[in-house]
Amino acid sequence: MANGDDEFISGFMDDYFEECDEHLATVRQILLSLEGVTGVQPIAPSILEEMFRSFHSMKGISGMVELRDAEMLAHEMESYLRALRQQEAILTPAGVDALVAGVDALERVIVARREKHPGPPIDDVKARIAAVIPHGLPAAAVSAALAESSREVTPEWIVTFVPSSELSERGLNVDTVRARLRQHGTILQAVPKILPTGVAFEFAFAGDLDEVTREAWTSDGITVARASAPLPAVETSVELLEGTGDPKGIGLSPTVASASHYVRVDLARLDDLMRMIGDLVISRARMADTLARVERRVPAIEWREVHENSAAIERQLRDLREGVVRIRLVPVGEIFRRMPFVVRDLAKQSGAKVRLILEGQETEIDKYLIERMMDPILHIVRNSVSHAFEIPSERQAAGKPEEGTLRLSASTAGESVVIEIADDGRGVDVEAVTRRARAAGMSVPEGPLDSAALLELLCAPGFSTRDETDRGSGRGIGMAVVKSTIQQLSGTLALDTEPGRGTRFTIELPLTLSITEAMIAVVGDRTFAIPQGSVREVIEIDHVSLRSIEAHEIVPYRGGVLPVLRLSKLFGITEQARRSLHAFVIGSGLEAVAIAVDRITGQREIVVRALADTMIKVEGIVGATDLGDGRVVLILNLQALARMARRDLGGANAAAQPRSA
Amino acid sequence: MQRTLVVDDSPTIRRMVMASLKDVCPGGFAEAGSGLEALEQLALAPFALMILDLNMPDMHGLEVLKFVRSHQKYRDLPVVVLTTRGDATSRGEVVKEGASLYLTKPFVPLALAEQVRSLLNGGARPADDVDRNPHG
Repeated sequence: MANGDDEFISGFMDDYFEECDEHLATVRQILLSLEGVTGVQPIAPSILEEMFRSFHSMKGISGMVELRDAEMLAHEMESYLRALRQQEAILTPAGVDALVAGVDALERVIVARREKHPGPPIDDVKARIAAVIPHGLPAAAVSAALAESSREVTPEWIVTFVPSSELSERGLNVDTVRARLRQHGTILQAVPKILPTGVAFEFAFAGDLDEVTREAWTSDGITVARASAPLPAVETSVELLEGTGDPKGIGLSPTVASASHYVRVDLARLDDLMRMIGDLVISRARMADTLARVERRVPAIEWREVHENSAAIERQLRDLREGVVRIRLVPVGEIFRRMPFVVRDLAKQSGAKVRLILEGQETEIDKYLIERMMDPILHIVRNSVSHAFEIPSERQAAGKPEEGTLRLSASTAGESVVIEIADDGRGVDVEAVTRRARAAGMSVPEGPLDSAALLELLCAPGFSTRDETDRGSGRGIGMAVVKSTIQQLSGTLALDTEPGRGTRFTIELPLTLSITEAMIAVVGDRTFAIPQGSVREVIEIDHVSLRSIEAHEIVPYRGGVLPVLRLSKLFGITEQARRSLHAFVIGSGLEAVAIAVDRITGQREIVVRALADTMIKVEGIVGATDLGDGRVVLILNLQALARMARRDLGGANAAAQPRSA
Repeated sequence: MQRTLVVDDSPTIRRMVMASLKDVCPGGFAEAGSGLEALEQLALAPFALMILDLNMPDMHGLEVLKFVRSHQKYRDLPVVVLTTRGDATSRGEVVKEGASLYLTKPFVPLALAEQVRSLLNGGARPADDVDRNPHG
């Protein structure tokens, strides 16, 4: 249209994406709840109505931002739901499938716009939806059943609400009153009335309202009277709903009603807030250092007061930080919610039967992290469904239940969130992986591969266990990207697989980025910060207890031995001469390793600042932090350093083998 | 200076409408996300203008319009119906119920502002359009 609206539109894209996200989530949730119900009984009109609304809204706003494909898809689905609503027809499984495909395509179109990619083709999906739209065949039998179920409720009360500015200031308006009524029963009808003093809303209502409640509501401008007569016929009252005239559909759906209790906040503003708190943390650390210096010069009584105040500020700062972190946390369910569709779709293609179990959906994680984890988790799930499961006959032959299980679970462990994706399929074919890796020219150590080495191969760039044309994984981003994304987010990825029993991917992520507890370590004349979450244990190593096996050092540890990596060697720093070393124990099992430093000098909260220059992004270095005294130190990712060392030294962990033997 | 009431169940559309009309409606804005909310707002404060969507969750915009026009107090309130192109309710119906203007979404911001400006200046032209793509 080329009349200078581009700028206008671009100013609303965030609003657009956000509103679409909400609608997509709503329809997905509804579609999920419809699985298994379709084709059996009529769907409650209020549910069709809610989906209709979402598509209608998405159509409207997609038109405004000139995303034509999204507009058309939403339009098509809206038409289908309108037809269902008007003809009171049954939503068939084919209809649900078409809607699922439509929602999927719609989302991809929107995401493509957000990421400024060309969108996917939509003609097939559009045709698929158009094909299920019924044409003028009223389903008489069904409509009778529908009438039975939804119109049987008779009103018990007439609830009148007279809005006023005073009530509105107290947060009492037609919406909150509606929400309150809905907690007690069903609103059958809502009619606006004109009074000499203004407007009143009359709700025909069925539900439990005891005397105490009715009494209490009076002061909120709500009066309740027993309904004397049955609800007037729909024709004579103001009919509030377009279409069916079904009384149940009147009133906002709960999801829409509750929207008014939320405030949308731009993530960037929370980042600002977090940065300010970060600055505060640094300032306080600086003050604590100063206080420690002047302690001896201040009389003890006054010192105690200063000290108490300082401690109070520290506590409050921590509370403040946790408060802001909590604002940023969203339930992992946001990712999980779309998985049933992915699994369903792919399982159909691969001929496997897969039951998806979701656990811990309420586990909360930073919004930023979850957004970035969406694709990696999707990729692993896709991979599992396309490759991991045997076809039902194979499973039966192996004595397994015909239906495979894919378990997607999330849980919180201290400052981390653990996400597990586990299947009970055939397990990773280690030999095939090895063969393929060798064929691709990668170096593969001889002998049995441990799971870490296996994962390393799977995640190597360019490695794929199937042909690229394979639809399910071909769409994905590749394990290499999965792994690097997780690492960028200071997380870890682990693999557990057993032939014939299944495979489990474990992703561990920090609850949030930005501020973390860290240990401060010194090597030579350098200082480093090590996030505490990654450290299993801190040990002291006497030089005399160190033994060398070929080029590697080991130390006795809990009845076994532990390989030792010296940071001084990794970074080429000259160690201070000391009788003993401090070391961080990280990892478990065969992966356990002690990373030695000269001294661990303290423990404190640090503010993680990402290294801004991507050119100097170094594996093993998470970012930098300001210790409060103006010194900037690097924050290390010990896991990554250990991996690098293993790679460089080749089989350093072989030294740990005796322990397991 | 009285405010303009923007009624639409999409918060994005409401914001777009307000952004488009900010120079035309100097009294500022109030928002309503449903028909009943709109009536409540109307009852609580006087408004200079109402921008009204039709297809809304609880109460159809046409019913809002009927209600408004059937009461003395609101009879003269200019109401601009801004509805999604292709929806069932016809322009004729809307104008018959007393809409001052019938416009469709998607709209061109400048055109919407122009239409509303001339309406407020007394030159109502109910048949005109702000459609981005009138032949579509």
